Amino acid sequence: MSIAPRRWPVHVLLALLVMALTHALTVWAIPRLIMDRIITLGGGDAAMQQSGTGVYLPPPTDHTQRRIVMPSPDLLYATCAFDVSERPLRVTLDTRYDRYWSIALYASNSDNFFVINDRDAPDGRVDLLVQSPKYVGSSAAAQSVTAPTHRGFLLMRLLVNDDPVVRAAAEAARQALRCSDA
Amino acid sequence: MRRSVAQLTLLYLAAVVIGVASAWLWLTRVGMSGVDAGIWRTNLLAGSREADAYTRARIALGAVLALDRGETLYYTTDHDNEGNTLRAECRYRIDGTPPPARWWSITAYAADHFLFANAERRYSISGENALLDDAGRFAALISPRSGDPDMPWIPTSGTGGMRLTLRLYGAGEPLQRDPGALAAPSVKRLGDCP
Repeated sequence: MSIAPRRWPVHVLLALLVMALTHALTVWAIPRLIMDRIITLGGGDAAMQQSGTGVYLPPPTDHTQRRIVMPSPDLLYATCAFDVSERPLRVTLDTRYDRYWSIALYASNSDNFFVINDRDAPDGRVDLLVQSPKYVGSSAAAQSVTAPTHRGFLLMRLLVNDDPVVRAAAEAARQALRCSDA
Repeated sequence: MRRSVAQLTLLYLAAVVIGVASAWLWLTRVGMSGVDAGIWRTNLLAGSREADAYTRARIALGAVLALDRGETLYYTTDHDNEGNTLRAECRYRIDGTPPPARWWSITAYAADHFLFANAERRYSISGENALLDDAGRFAALISPRSGDPDMPWIPTSGTGGMRLTLRLYGAGEPLQRDPGALAAPSVKRLGDCP
């Protein structure tokens, strides 16, 4: 069976449709693939650290950091990868760090769906319950957040400078972060 | 018949390749939309849940884990005040007034979006380390080699493109409403490029 010449226009139209769908799929997939890698690496880092906090504390940012684009050299970071499909995530912090810090939550499509900073929590205390939209329940946590996707990533930022005293205070602050199953 | 099947396979394969390539080129070669302040541009949907698919993909490629504009405004530029593309091998002077924000910084990135390697571990100028003159202005040198010892210096290395990112944490309400109103720092090339 050969393909009749009159069928070619149909195939050209179908090929154009395939092209458009592939284009759209690529645009849709890129942030999800990048976040999947970040979440997977972040979870592995926290597990490797074996600190029992569920938190990964990357070294101070410099030019050797080549895992996440556009790192800020003026910030110290702490990260948690999470999956709330089975159980909510409990995030706690108790710090006296008197400079800028924030805790941001990202969905698996890279959207920043929640952020809290030092001015939102003037007493330095954070108690968050991050839940799946399918399994919203009550908890003793002070604040509840619904994650738009099951998997996600938490990034804590702390403003630092070259002063060793400031560095030490920031280090102590990020070590106070806890991520655990609720 | 075999020839027809091969041609059809080629046609659909080409469609897939063109679909992927056109998306990649569009995301990496076409500039991101946004609000301009001088030579700087900010995308108000960076990190936002309201971001469209193209913005989300571009941010993921070039600035993943960006914060929502309510927390941080990000301005970027890859060209100087004369409209020339920034290059790592050239010398530039940044000049401006501290932006109205709780904290700000300007960081130099290589074309691959990572920091320039340098033994001095200097990557940015910020509200922490900027020196203000009597008029309240700051200045900094971005170049492979140091120049004026009294001016903060951000070393670059290698050749190729360069991007500057201005971060404003806790930007004032008026600027959040109108990011184009930023009194944007100038970026002027000093001398000729090697």
